[in-house]
Order: sequence, then structure tokens, then C-alpha cells
Amino acid sequence: MAASTPSGAPSSKEKKYDRQLRLWGANGQNKLESAHIALFNASAAGCEILKNLILPGVGQFTVIDDKLVEEADLGANFFLDEESLGKPRAERTAALLGELNPDVKGNYLVDSLSNTLSAKPELLNPRSTPFTHIVIISPVPTPLLLQIPIEIPVFLVNCVGLLFTLRISAPLHTIVEAHPESLVDLRLLNPWPELSALAAEKTKNLEVQQEMDGDEGMSDHEHGHVPYLVLLLKYLDDWKRRPEGDGTHPSSYKEMTAFRSFVQDKMRTHVPGGSEENYEEAVAAVLKHVRKAEVSEYAKTVLDHPACANVTSESTNFWIIAKAVKQFLESPEQGNGLLPLSGGIPDMKAESSGYVALQNVYKNKARHDAALVQKNVQSILSSIGREPSSISLEEIEIFCRHANFLRAISFRPFSAELSTDEFHKKVVKDAFESWDADSALINDYVAFRAFQEFITQNNGRAPGDTEGPLDEDTVEMQRLAKAYLSEVGCSLELAERTENIIGELVRYGGAELHNTASLAGGLVAQEIIKIITQQYVPGNNTILFDGISSKTGTYVL
Amino acid sequence: MTVADHPKCGAGGLGCEVLKNLALSGFTDIHVIDMDTIDVSNLNRQFLFRAADVGKPKATVAAEFVMRRVKGVTITPYYGAIQDKGPDYYMQFQLVICGLDSVEARRWINATLVDMVDPENQESLKPLIDGGTEGFKGQSRVILPTLSSCYECSLDMLTPRAAVPMCTLASIPRQPAHCIEWASILEWPRIMGDKKLDNDDPEHITWLYEKALERAKEFNITGVTYSMTQGVVKNIIPAIASTNAIIAASCCNEALKIITSCSPFMNNYMMYMGDEGVYTHTFEHEKKEGCPVCGTLATDYEASGEWTLDEFIERLKEKPDIQIKKPTLSTERRKLYYAGPPQLMEMTRPNLDKKLKDLMDSGEEVAITDPGLPFSLRLNVIFSK
Repeated sequence: MAASTPSGAPSSKEKKYDRQLRLWGANGQNKLESAHIALFNASAAGCEILKNLILPGVGQFTVIDDKLVEEADLGANFFLDEESLGKPRAERTAALLGELNPDVKGNYLVDSLSNTLSAKPELLNPRSTPFTHIVIISPVPTPLLLQIPIEIPVFLVNCVGLLFTLRISAPLHTIVEAHPESLVDLRLLNPWPELSALAAEKTKNLEVQQEMDGDEGMSDHEHGHVPYLVLLLKYLDDWKRRPEGDGTHPSSYKEMTAFRSFVQDKMRTHVPGGSEENYEEAVAAVLKHVRKAEVSEYAKTVLDHPACANVTSESTNFWIIAKAVKQFLESPEQGNGLLPLSGGIPDMKAESSGYVALQNVYKNKARHDAALVQKNVQSILSSIGREPSSISLEEIEIFCRHANFLRAISFRPFSAELSTDEFHKKVVKDAFESWDADSALINDYVAFRAFQEFITQNNGRAPGDTEGPLDEDTVEMQRLAKAYLSEVGCSLELAERTENIIGELVRYGGAELHNTASLAGGLVAQEIIKIITQQYVPGNNTILFDGISSKTGTYVL
Repeated sequence: MTVADHPKCGAGGLGCEVLKNLALSGFTDIHVIDMDTIDVSNLNRQFLFRAADVGKPKATVAAEFVMRRVKGVTITPYYGAIQDKGPDYYMQFQLVICGLDSVEARRWINATLVDMVDPENQESLKPLIDGGTEGFKGQSRVILPTLSSCYECSLDMLTPRAAVPMCTLASIPRQPAHCIEWASILEWPRIMGDKKLDNDDPEHITWLYEKALERAKEFNITGVTYSMTQGVVKNIIPAIASTNAIIAASCCNEALKIITSCSPFMNNYMMYMGDEGVYTHTFEHEKKEGCPVCGTLATDYEASGEWTLDEFIERLKEKPDIQIKKPTLSTERRKLYYAGPPQLMEMTRPNLDKKLKDLMDSGEEVAITDPGLPFSLRLNVIFSK
């Protein structure tokens, strides 16, 4: 990505991508521009997915499809026109999609998935593939699906009538920037010496009313501009030392509300308006910010992951820095049970200089923590034979800032789901036992699972896509759904919702409606962008959409 | 599929998607209104536009593109504001889909469609489908004017950006945004006088950026960037193609259901959240009792009969849920005060100094119109004892 011009004004690329750079930044954009997406089956849904990746500037795309454009395609696919009739779909969709963004390189191959797997195996070999991510639009028989190596992220989409499903299979996915609502971690109950010292100094004469200029007392103006963080630190200390107290911080809800009144009572009320904004902010912040700094479950999952313990020369930077953070956390000289500080503080009523001074105490601590983590990173890098400076301080600082929000997501492979392993059985059974099972989209999954079996047994033909009577296909779909339920160990009666969804699937005979394809195009592209940029949190691992009731459901299947 | 006369407002991020979806869903007669021209920052999602189209009207370019690509559809563009058109224009359509970017425009179209409803004439009820996005999130909703919750009913769901107190901007900035707002709100008029600040003029943004940067330096504040300056001044909301696709398709899905009656349409609000996994929430937003637009009764308002009309107006201006600036007031029997035209203003000005009790009876209905209000507000003014 081109850097800004010296005056700070944006480059032409930054102008074009401004509205998205505000979400994923230059970092995310660079990852997007390095991605190469393969689309198997240039259906309407497939083209809509690509559209939503080409517009934000994905590096390359390749359309792989062996069909010729028919009249029916024009009714559903916006990236085909009358001139395309009779020509290869791969060629025409690649051309019309390519017009969307001159910065994206488009390619096509007139071929099918099965032939690619058998005749051009290098294209889908993890060591030689040019593709970073693969999108497959069903129907794809199960044996073909199982041939796709698990090292490449795959997005499998079924889109029929008003319904669609997305199944994501990907290697272990790690996220630094999950974009939680706030990264703020104030450490009010675990202040470090510099913070305590600042608070003590700024509140030295808090209770002394200034009588005249120059005396040691605090004027009303000064008193009303002591940042609430400093107030809370002081009053937490006072609370601990109360003669009637037991020397601990407030922790129960009852103690917290008592502490709130304790703070409220110290407000000067003889001032204009009868109250002080900084005290009001302090009171409002008690329940939100007065709590022990803790390591989140998500961060624990990352730090306790085997990939963190077993860092090798093959490990990604994520796991190397994670290991360094874990060392920091566990070392009595470093974090001593706490993660590196994120370093940000919210805005609050204060004088500029008082606020900046406080902000610097947090920033300096965050910098100091990150420097310690950097040392750990360097020694890990040496131990695995990598250049100790090969991971930049900037990358480490970003990682530390997000340390409590790290994610590692294991996507289960297709094989685990389609062989109906014990884990899968449990998820499905649990879903059927939930209170809202009657209307839950697990019923839709059962129908789609029968759909997958049907196309596998009928050489790629979708149920309902037939000259013969639809009833036969419906009966067969119901039989397959029941067989699947029996495999899982659920009741053999089909739920009303499952029957209805089977009816919908057969009625549309595997055909896409443009509008549903367009919605799928948006949803699937969002998930692909999250995986590519390693920002925000993708759904794990099956997302179902029902356009009849406008509902979605997500299951780890 | 039946031919549907069918407008949509806006040819922006949602609008491009909506036009494509409607055309490929079999709608043959579509109207599109948009007052904007194409900007380079639209190209990351508004897929009917190319770099060569920058500067041209969105409505026209979008209509031409879709008609070229999809055979058998007629799209009539109008390059202008939705407010340029009145009830006669909106009456010709079966429903309206909105992909608008401002609260004002949404309030206006909502109030207009509610106002058009004539209980004697079923055809006068035009369903309104509204969509909006922000980053990975969005919402779509179906409004049946007068029958279900309207846009005004849910106005309080908006969380407006908390305004920074003027004294913070003027003397104690703490955040980079404070320095930027100081530059645009205080410093620009001080130095530039009457010259209007144009948020789309890069030279103006550069001026603000440099001023904000200087001020930040003075107060040891870090983080002012050109991009942030632009974001704060223009109140930029992040927008991406994929979210637009989701919300627009959801809107069109409901339009199809309404037109074809193929299945029940959404009742009546869907939120989509894609930041963490995929989460949707569909619920019924309820009509607000006493909604100033779709409520059937005038709202009660307590006043003192001793207040002058001028005092009454000043107090109304302070009410945050009304937001009026230059109101015109009247009762069934008399004109109380007209903010324009000049002759009427002259004629009604003397009323400003009169006491309310001398102008009306307690419980009498006062109709209030204002440039900031897309509808006429009705209050039952009840004198407190």
C-alpha cells in the first residue's frame, strides 16, 4: 500500500480505500492485497462473493468453471451479459468482475474442481498452490471435498432459493486485533509504583479548601479538574485504610455501592451547579473499572495452546510473541501474573496538562512492558535460529496492546464433520435439546446434510433438479435426513422445520435466487476478509441463513 | 412477476446493490433519487461506478449501468434531493426502499409517507423499507406507515455523538479530536470570517489539519492525522461492500415478500452484527405512544398561561426531542407566529409579546412547523394551575 504523501494528505489509494482503512488499517489492507482467491463454480453467489473482495482490493482472483453461459445464468448473475451467451462462464465472469477494480489481477481457468484435482494437482497442493483462499460453491460431492488439503482455508457455500449455508475449514486461525469495544485496562486495583506516586501527589491537598491565592489548599477549579482515575486511586487507598474496614479493596456488589457513596460524599457541592463533573465521572466508573486485572478466557486459550509451548523455527510471529507474553505473565520480575498493559485511557474531565501527564504514566508502563516482551521475543528467536531482530518492536507493541483479546480458533476439517464424529454428534444433540430447538437452524442443517448426501449419491445433481416427479426426490431427502439423525443418535422423526426446509430445497432444485446469492456474497465476503486480515472474529464454523424468517444460526460442526 | 412501480431513494452503497437486486428479481420499473455525485472514496463499494465516473451524478450513472447489463428493466433516475418531490410523486409507487445516509432525510421521507396515508384509500399506504450500515454492522427494517413503528418512533435508538463541551475545545483539549474540532468550530470562523468551510475541499481539510496539529503540539497531545481530521470534520462512517450487500439484499428480500405476498415479511427490524462471528437479531420494534409523526393524538404539553408566546417558543427550542430552530405556530382559529414569508412575519410578530392565555384556551391544539422538522408537530397546550 502506498504511503501518505509528505504533507500528510492521503495518496490516491488511501483516498479510494478510505472508508475501509478506517476499519482494518494499512496492516489489514496489505494482507488483503497479498491474497489470491480461487472460486470454483462461477455461480451468482460465487461472483457476488468475489465482487465484495475485488472492490476492497484483494490481490488476485481466479475463476474456475467449466460451463458455458446459458440464458438462465443471465437471470441470476449480474456479472454476465447477453454478449456472454455461449461463451465460457469462467472467462466472461472474470472479465466483468475484473472491471470492478483495476488494481486487482483477474485470472480464469475453464475447468471443473474434479478435473483440477486429478489433472492439475499442483494447483491444490499446499506447497505449490498459488491460491491463499478457496471458495467453493456447491454442489460438490463429498469425496471431492475431502481431497482438498486442510492446509488451505476453504469456504464452502450452498445457496438454494431463500436459503444458504457457509462452512469454513481453515488451519489454526490466530487474531491479534479482534476489535473489541474497548482495550482500556486501568489497573485501579493493581496500580504500579509510578501510578500510585502520581495519584498521591495530585491528591495531596484534595481535602484542603484554598482560602487565598498561593496557600497549599486546592481551589474549586483545581478540585473540579482532578482526573477521575486519580480520584478513584486515592479513594480506593483511603477505603482500604478506613478504621472500620478490613484493609481490602471493595469487591462485593454491596461494597462497591458503598464505595460509590464514599466517593460521592467527597464531592464539593458549594460550587456553581452544585456538583463536580469529575466526581460524577468517578462515581459512574466504579462498577465498570474498579476490578482486578484478569487474564481473559480467550487469552488463556492462546497462551495455554500447544502451539505456544512448542515454538519452532516454523512458528509464525504470533506464536513467538505469544510465548514471550506468557513468559512475561509468569515471570515474577516481569508481569508477575498480569499481562502487558494496553496503555490507553478514556477521555475524562481534566486540565490538558494533568490529563497528558496521567496518559504518559500509562503509555510509559505499556512501553516498558512491551520492551520486556521484546527481550523475551529476542531470546526465543535466537533459540530457534532466527534473527533476534526479525520481529519489529511495533509488531510486539500492537500484540501487547491486544494481549487480553487474542484469539486462536481451530476450525474442524470437513472430514470430522462429514464422518459424524463424536464431537459432531454431541453438538447436534445439544442443539436439539435447547429450548428453542423447534425454530433453531439446526433443523436446516439436517436438511442441508441430506442435500450433501443427495448430491454425492446422484453425481452432483441437486434434489428437485429433475424432469421427473419432485416427490421422489423429497422422499429420498427425508430418508437421508432420517438416516443422518439415526447416525447422530437423535429422534428419527423429522421436525416440522426440517421437513419445510427439505421442501424448499427440492422446490428450488438447487437453483440460486439472485437476492439470496447477493446476501450470501456479502456475508461470505465479510468472513473471508476477517480471515485474510486476521482482524475481527470469524464465525466458527458453519453459518446458516434463512431468508424466509431473516434469521442466522452458527454451529461448530 | 408483476410489473412494479417502485422507487428507491439513494444510489450510494446500498442503492447500487438495491438497483441490481431489484432488476435481477424481475422488477421492471424502478425509480432512483440521489442528490450526490460520485467521489473517489465511493469506489471501494459502489460497484456501478468507475474512476472515470467521478464527478457525475450517482443516480444517472447507476441507472444507465444496470439497464445496460440487465435487459428488460427501466430505471428512471432523478438527480436531486428526495425533498424536491412531493406526495404526488411518491403516490405512484408501490413501495419505497431507502438507503439514505442522513437522519434528516430519513425523518423527512418517513413523515411524508405517514402523512400520505388516507384511511379511505388502501393504495395510499406505501411500505417503507429502510437500511443502514456501519463497518461490519447494519440494520434493515420494514415500516408500514401508521400501522407499525415508524422511523420517528425509534429516533431515540440513535446514539448521537456526545458533543464536547465548548470550554474543553476552547481551553483544555485532551484528545486529538478536541484539537480538530477546535480548528473547525472556533479557529476557522475566527480567521476566515464568513468564508464557508467546505468539508470536501482538500485545501480546507489541510488547513484544519495543520491548525489542529499546531494546537496538539502546544498541549503535548499526540495522534492528530490528516485522516482523523477528515473523519472528525466529515463525521465519516466506515463502509464496506460486503455489509452493504447484506443489508441491501435483506431490504430487497422484504420488498419481494411484500410485493409477491410469497411469505410473511419481516416484523419489523433486523440487526446484523459481523464484528464477532455472525449474529442477527430480528425483533418487533413497537410503535411509540405519542409519536409526533405516526401517533394519532397530539401530545400534551404543560405551559403557563402567563408566559408570552416568545417565552413559549424559547422553551420549545430547549426540548431535545423536538429540535426546532425557526418555528411557525398556529391554532385552528388563528395564526400565532409565522417565521416567514416577511409579510406574515410582520403581521404576526406582535403576538410574540402577548400572553398565551390571551391567544388560546387551555387544552387547545397548537400546530408547529419548522425547517428542522419534517412534519407538523401538534401539541395540546395545557395551562398549569
